[in-house]
Amino acid sequence: MRPVVKASLHYLALAIVSILWLIPVYAMIVNGFKSNLEVLSSPVLSPPTSLSLTAYITVFNALAKPLVNSLIVVIPTSFISAFLGAMGAYFFYTLSYSFSKLSSVISDVLFSLIALATFIPYQATLIPLTRLIVSMGILDTYIGIIFAMLIFYIPTGALLMSMFVSVIPRSLIEAAKVDGTGDLKIFMKIVFPLSMPGFISTLIFIIIQSWNNFFIPLILVTTPNMRLVSVAVQSYTGGYGTLYNDTFAAAMLASVIPLAIFIFLGRYFIRGLIALGGGGKGV
Amino acid sequence: MVRIIAKNISKYFKKGRVIALDKINLIIENGERFGILGPSGAGKTTLMRIIAGLEVPSEGELYFDDKLVAKDGKLIVPPEDRRIGMVFQTWALYPNLTAYENIAFPLTNTKISKEEIRKRVEEIAKILDITHVLNHYPRELSGGQQQRVALARALVKNPSLLLLDEPFSNLDARMRDSARALVKEVQSRLGVTLLIVSHDPADIFAIADRVGVLVKGKLVQVGPPEEIYNKPISIEVASLIGEINEIEGKVTKEGIIIGSFKIPVNINTDKAVIGIRPEDIKISKEPIKEEEWILIGKGRVKVIGYQGGLFRITVSPLDSEEEIATYLDHPIKAGEEILVYVKKGSIKIFT
Repeated sequence: MRPVVKASLHYLALAIVSILWLIPVYAMIVNGFKSNLEVLSSPVLSPPTSLSLTAYITVFNALAKPLVNSLIVVIPTSFISAFLGAMGAYFFYTLSYSFSKLSSVISDVLFSLIALATFIPYQATLIPLTRLIVSMGILDTYIGIIFAMLIFYIPTGALLMSMFVSVIPRSLIEAAKVDGTGDLKIFMKIVFPLSMPGFISTLIFIIIQSWNNFFIPLILVTTPNMRLVSVAVQSYTGGYGTLYNDTFAAAMLASVIPLAIFIFLGRYFIRGLIALGGGGKGV
Repeated sequence: MVRIIAKNISKYFKKGRVIALDKINLIIENGERFGILGPSGAGKTTLMRIIAGLEVPSEGELYFDDKLVAKDGKLIVPPEDRRIGMVFQTWALYPNLTAYENIAFPLTNTKISKEEIRKRVEEIAKILDITHVLNHYPRELSGGQQQRVALARALVKNPSLLLLDEPFSNLDARMRDSARALVKEVQSRLGVTLLIVSHDPADIFAIADRVGVLVKGKLVQVGPPEEIYNKPISIEVASLIGEINEIEGKVTKEGIIIGSFKIPVNINTDKAVIGIRPEDIKISKEPIKEEEWILIGKGRVKVIGYQGGLFRITVSPLDSEEEIATYLDHPIKAGEEILVYVKKGSIKIFT
């Protein structure tokens, strides 16, 4: 096949996939600008006849507090999970190179547990989790939600970071050991800076995951004032009738922050993945 | 500044299925420059890593002076407490730190003040001539500069033992000699015990006072490099420390016969391998009348190569495929018939 034809086919395929991905986003944006009558009477993909901001304004007033709540929860959750995950990853890295057989067995067992923890559906832990949070007296607080999310996202962070940490050349860590450096300093001065692209990828991944997490804030929040944005958006689909333009506007506002993060930090995300594939190229 | 004693050190990998080191006994004297020579996979780096404390011996004991540092699979003194400086094969410079920070790194783990650190880094940088690149990152340095930064990092903490793991293999050929001279000079100035691991005999001759030859995990011969060059215990050792022509032929009363060559050796067994260094072979169109050169027969020039100002000539006996290599200061034509001489007493016999 000629290169031009081949490239064209590649782009065609990419274009089709992109369009499929973008249709919901497009629908979300345009329908938020319609009046409720128009949403119901016009096809979902047709642009609004007159631009109405009422839906966005009403929704923004209602969503401002949940958006702030989400930021308060998501920022510490993601940073702590990614950072502690990176530390955990380095811990496994050192354990796996340890001399004693016992520690390599411990390393394998713990790592399997972490991998398992990542795949446990949090719905399954509903009752013990709620009881734990209640007995700690942090139900319906930011700390409570952050704590619960950390339980699930630290293993994710460790799992993701261990892929990035393990491509750091072993000789660098050995050189630091010979130089008399302690593990914490090796981590802070060498391992962490060198796994920065991976750290950013992990961070973005956890931000998006925890931002979109619906179940944990649903069960651990009891007062409307503490609601996170993912739960708040859900409340727009009512049992008796739905204000579709408000729903679309709410969905749009709720996804602006993860979208912005992905657009601005996306290249670091990609760079992290490239660093992984290239066997630590650029390290 | 430290004496290293290895007693019966063995190292197994994969639950004993791979024997990396087999009962190594070795004493490296205080302030000595010791070389470990061996083919790849012989266990050279493993031995060095055991001495560094990055591996533990599966069996045996390792002492630094009188102090037991590792025994039977247990690390007694960890690497950070062994006062060693190490230059890795890849140099292992921290890519996120500048040359200055790299060199200062070992000192930041001690209680030395910042001014003192600066003084010591600048001092060592001056000795190694890298003062002008101290603010650069490793990726901005040339290979030679990176190597010197790695050496500076190893030396800045005044180690009592300097370990070099094939430190010159990533340098281009022209820079190696000056790098070797530099290492030797710095070592003698500081008086530190030095251990160099290499597969390149040039490193060993340039630096080591004594060399241990490691073959398949066994220390087969230890001695000064010249002694090992002149009196190797096996053809393998002989070829590790320098080029040698390995000849295996029919043994008769008059010596070994290969085609038109008759090599006069006195061997009682009916099978033997002999080795002749290229410099102990002379080829000439005219007969040589000097006493020390013995004619072994007529040969034919097969291949002519050129390296380092000399022509490398491969000669074969007239009716055989065996090849013998030697060097000549002028080129000759391939296919020419030529007289081949061997220096008296230079033939090494391995039975």
